[in-house]
Amino acid sequence: MSVTDYTDRNELRIAGVVAILAAVVVAAMVMDLQVLEIITAGFIERSLQAATPIALTAIGGLYAEKSGVFNIGVEGFMIFGAATAATMMWVISGGSPGQGDVWLAILASALVSLVFATIFAVLLIRYEADQIVAGLALWFIGLGFGPFMAILVWDSRNSPSLESVNDLTVPVLSDVPVVGQIFFDTSPLVLFTAVLAVAAWKFLNDTRYGYWIQAAGENPEALDTAGISVTRVRYAAVIFSGVMAGLGGAVLLAQAGSFTGTGDTMVSGRGWIGIVAYLFGNYNPLGAAVAALVFGGLDMLQIQLQTAGISVPNRLVNLFPYAGVIVVLTVWGTTRTPSAVGESYESEE
Amino acid sequence: MSRSSKRLYDVVDSAAGHMLRASVIERLAIATASIALALLIGVGIVAAAGYDPVAFLTSLVEGAIGGQSAIARTLRFSTLFILTGVAVAVAFRAGVFNIGVQGQFVVGGFATIMSIIRTAPLLPEGVVGGVGLLLVGFAAGACAGGVYGAFPGALKAYADANVIITTIMLNFIATGVVGWLVQNPFRGEGNTAPNTERIPEYVSLPRIVFDSPGFSIVGLGIALATVAVIFVVMERSRFGYDMVTSGHQQSAATYSGVGAKRTIVLTMTLSGMVAGVAGAVFAIMIQGYYTDPSGIGTYGFDAIAVSLLAANNPLGIVPAGLLFGGLDSAGSHIGIYTDVPVQLIDGVIGLVILFVSVPELFRMAAQRTGLGGESR
Repeated sequence: MSVTDYTDRNELRIAGVVAILAAVVVAAMVMDLQVLEIITAGFIERSLQAATPIALTAIGGLYAEKSGVFNIGVEGFMIFGAATAATMMWVISGGSPGQGDVWLAILASALVSLVFATIFAVLLIRYEADQIVAGLALWFIGLGFGPFMAILVWDSRNSPSLESVNDLTVPVLSDVPVVGQIFFDTSPLVLFTAVLAVAAWKFLNDTRYGYWIQAAGENPEALDTAGISVTRVRYAAVIFSGVMAGLGGAVLLAQAGSFTGTGDTMVSGRGWIGIVAYLFGNYNPLGAAVAALVFGGLDMLQIQLQTAGISVPNRLVNLFPYAGVIVVLTVWGTTRTPSAVGESYESEE
Repeated sequence: MSRSSKRLYDVVDSAAGHMLRASVIERLAIATASIALALLIGVGIVAAAGYDPVAFLTSLVEGAIGGQSAIARTLRFSTLFILTGVAVAVAFRAGVFNIGVQGQFVVGGFATIMSIIRTAPLLPEGVVGGVGLLLVGFAAGACAGGVYGAFPGALKAYADANVIITTIMLNFIATGVVGWLVQNPFRGEGNTAPNTERIPEYVSLPRIVFDSPGFSIVGLGIALATVAVIFVVMERSRFGYDMVTSGHQQSAATYSGVGAKRTIVLTMTLSGMVAGVAGAVFAIMIQGYYTDPSGIGTYGFDAIAVSLLAANNPLGIVPAGLLFGGLDSAGSHIGIYTDVPVQLIDGVIGLVILFVSVPELFRMAAQRTGLGGESR
């Protein structure tokens, strides 16, 4: 599928995003705000960073749902991913983490997520667990055991200050105004996610495996008839989604530089927002990444409003992404779900 | 109806069919096995983390039923779990995944406290005023919870917005907004903590039978009465029939002329009202003021486990609620008297939900071992 195909199919959504942006700009001008003071290069950079964990999670969840399994456990996977990355970073480095330890921790966290995701996939696919209830359960398990891990290591639900990922500065290119700051002097995790989103999009639409995933969700009987194991495709997709969400959590931690386990933990609904991001992106990895950016922007609005001299209490500004989700679901709630989502498939061999 | 919502209904439909097939005894066996397995894993983790598992189990039992104050504490939590559990059951039974009971509970409790504080000057002090204010408080709690539940219900019915996700978002919003309100405009004068003013002393549930702070047998009575009312509504009324039918068999419900959209909104309203009553009981019986909701218990979430354990049956909620009350009460005991982190209990509750969602796991295990082979 080419970009023009995508734009043709999603005219309404794209028009919607443009309309929202236009409305914001008009409202800002009417209220005599300095739009340029709010939408700065720094803001875009921060929004991209905030969008990264959401986008990773969204891409994974999208694959699972495309294959016919609704993985609503991604919020739980994110919490585990963040908690594992934090504790691993501490343990590997013996208490004084450096840059290398951050990357090792992200890798270790992805591996641990792989184990959990495999167990979860077995429960969902082999034992036909109720996908909604099991997904919720995973969230609660994460809310319990995530902070539990932190307490075991630090005697507190929050970690002390650890290490965060350094920005990657590309010589020369980073000197280009605006673009340089946004793309060539930023967290390498942002670039990694951007590449991954494009790769996930190409893979899903232009490879045999991508078609298998789509067929497992749309027409499992046909895939089975073609001699491909529906179950195996779904295992791969669900495990991938768990690892991606775990990675999302680890990335969130690597950007924040410390673990917060109080309240709803530092993940604080980002997994749920990830699900909405791929619904909003109409099951397209690129669309999901753009939607994640919208939510990332809402998340980072606070600093911008402050610098522009608009005082809205932090606590309320923090709620913007959640309100944004409700608006998105209300206006674009009806998405074309893959037709076999939620049904377990038994081959009639 | 759109395809996506049809798909969701089909999922819910098959799940409901699954549950109907399972006999009562099988449900009971699955519930017991889920709890046992979850606790076993919990104890395993306790041991692996280097704590004494026997001491952990002992304090678990002690904390739940060891002595009068432990029992009063257990019943206090049970009261809230029964009420919030019924709120969840109402919605789940009708196939509407209301994950927003926590938010409805918070909004209801806050409305209760504010309405009592604002109405108090208008009524005489003493018993008459106290009873009047209790009625005002409960009515405000039920209304606020009902409205906060009706909103995502309407979004689902008329805009096809996924209830699971909108209600989770509304939980975050309820916590954030109420947290801000008690910190700023509604903070009691001279309070250093982010709390509202206290409600007058004479507005309280009487402490009879148990003389324990934060628990009144009247609160438990309100919970049990709510169970009875909801049971009658769901099992014996036309509305309940419509609700359960549309939960189990969407197409049949449409053919028999049930307004599916209206039923969703009404279901969510009723569910939210019960959650609001739970919030009122929490606010009046336990706190006497309202505080930042990010610091209060997650009753509305744990209620999902309570309801699922009871197979969303209002009568089953009572034993399930008592069990969870015991677990939470043991949790606070463990938090005080041992160094095992309380979060373990939250994780164990999550495991219980996970196992309840996989009845097939236990069926296969039963077949392998030859145990309970006749229960199928």
